[in-house]
Amino acid sequence: MDIILSSLMAAMLIGMVLSLVALGLNIIFGVMDIVNFAHGEFLMIGMYTGLLTAQATGMDPLLTLPVAGCVGFLLGLLCYGAFVRFLLRGPMLAQLLGTFGLMVFLRNLALLLFGSEDRAIHHGLLVGKSFELGFGVIVPATKLAAALLSVFAFGSVWLLMNRTRTGKGLLATALNAQGARYMGIPTERMNALAWGIGVGSVTVAGALLVNFWSVNPYVGLLFTMIAFTIVALGGFGSVPGAFFAGLIVGLITEIPGFWDFLTFTLNLDWMSRVPMTSFKYTWVYLAYFVIMVVRPRGLFGWKL
Amino acid sequence: MEALRNALDFSDFPRTDLYVVAVAALFLLVFPLFPHSSFAMATMIQFLMFSIYGMGWNTIGGYGGQVDLGKAQYVGIGAYTTAVMLVRWDIPFWISMPIGMAVAVCWSFVLGYPLFRLRGHYFAIATIATSLVLKDLFEVWDFVGAARGLEISPIHYDPPDFLRLIFKEDIYYYYIILGFFFLGILFVNGFRKSRLGYQLRAIKDNEDVAASLGINVHWAKIKTYAIATAFVSLVGSFHACYIKNIEPEDTMSLHISILIALMAMLGGAGSLWGPIIGAAVLIPLKSYLKEWLGAHAGLIGIDLVMYGTIIMLVSAVEPRGIWGLMERIRGRRRG
Repeated sequence: MDIILSSLMAAMLIGMVLSLVALGLNIIFGVMDIVNFAHGEFLMIGMYTGLLTAQATGMDPLLTLPVAGCVGFLLGLLCYGAFVRFLLRGPMLAQLLGTFGLMVFLRNLALLLFGSEDRAIHHGLLVGKSFELGFGVIVPATKLAAALLSVFAFGSVWLLMNRTRTGKGLLATALNAQGARYMGIPTERMNALAWGIGVGSVTVAGALLVNFWSVNPYVGLLFTMIAFTIVALGGFGSVPGAFFAGLIVGLITEIPGFWDFLTFTLNLDWMSRVPMTSFKYTWVYLAYFVIMVVRPRGLFGWKL
Repeated sequence: MEALRNALDFSDFPRTDLYVVAVAALFLLVFPLFPHSSFAMATMIQFLMFSIYGMGWNTIGGYGGQVDLGKAQYVGIGAYTTAVMLVRWDIPFWISMPIGMAVAVCWSFVLGYPLFRLRGHYFAIATIATSLVLKDLFEVWDFVGAARGLEISPIHYDPPDFLRLIFKEDIYYYYIILGFFFLGILFVNGFRKSRLGYQLRAIKDNEDVAASLGINVHWAKIKTYAIATAFVSLVGSFHACYIKNIEPEDTMSLHISILIALMAMLGGAGSLWGPIIGAAVLIPLKSYLKEWLGAHAGLIGIDLVMYGTIIMLVSAVEPRGIWGLMERIRGRRRG
């Protein structure tokens, strides 16, 4: 029983961080209908920012969040102003391959700068500590803190989107860019802002993730795919959808854990021989495919 | 018969273009007769392989406008079919290649049916997802060597072996892939003017209008997807015999899918010569950048950084690629 409880707990915690990862992608997609393949690479940059800031200044890794957020925000503005703006004029093929080029560029720039080895945080207030919740469920402190902080960040973005004038401008741009421009909303600036917020939120997620996930230049693609799945499941353009879908995808990534539980309780020989851990993320890709085919609108989607 | 005439008829291109093409074709034919380094030869073979990949992608992605980023899975199917059949049952290339093609095309029908219910971005991401699923499967499947892959060791055979395509000198590989390359050009030239080709361009311009004109949009896309798959799987089979050592990472990773799309996109998607121009620019650039910058200066990844920069520049400045740029210059000159 404790196996399944631990798996559930782990799924929820990682799911909360994953939904923050997907939030940025969702905002960018919602506002300007552009799929950002470089999303995972921004996460990687966030992870490196968190790691290097913590190592250089000796701060606790959790305190580097504002740094990562600022770096991400500026990077997002830069990407939009210097590059994405020009992509929007072109056909869809150019947009897809353009952000893909950005992904190749960032990934290999990181390889050039940081080398290909895995790096992880070893020192910090919470690193290596964990506590027991009862029923044999052990929660690593870093994961819990990351999950709570990511819910906090998620909530702030939700408030920004729904309760401020700027948020209304963003929403109007998302619904009808031309109409919004006629109403005097500076849609160019809104697009830039969406990139800023989108990239900023994912770099924050990266700085949270680096507390318990080692980073290398290739880490991005996995998270890009996970983020696509979450956004597809939650519905393109829906903020609450991204949150619940994140939790569900968290559950999907824990399938090997549940499989172990079933193997253990049913005591079946063939089940233990399935190399389930090597399929850990295959389920996520498969889930994307199934969701898109069965219900392309997602759970809460309004945009298609 | 009419299809053959269409395939051999290049008269709708300007005469200057045809002269350039003739010179280029002559160069490709006589290139191995001149002294050359083995590195140059390997680059030329890579160029021909990626041109054919690009031509295949161009049918669905260029003429049809369906951005497919999962072509690597069919490279893998072709390569693995040939390699498994040769290693385990000693079946020669000329039999295993059509079988691999048939397997890949069947798989493309299975996937294409649900995939083409999606449009635009959703389709593109879904193709990536399916490709990654297949790669994950091949990485744990012991029959095909799991993550270690399969090795065709040439010592068991007696080169030159024309049936199994096992040679010592690259020149044989060069002429075989060159033959496929010319056949591929003829096929795409015929395809361009076929009923399906016109239907596809109508779909690219406006799917709803195409449907209202009585075109079965879904089926036309699936058929073209199968054609593209056949091209890719053929080169995959060739890849297995040429490289002789295949593993999931270098046949089925996303990197390959993207390179394939990139060839066509850089040269000019939706034009006959586009993918070839793209490959002619990109492959030598890639090889030599890697050779000079990567190996000599110890800067890992710098070739791909420049690569990414090129992709970004092309997509932002001239989305129609080099071919589009040439058309624009030509249009300006005409007035």
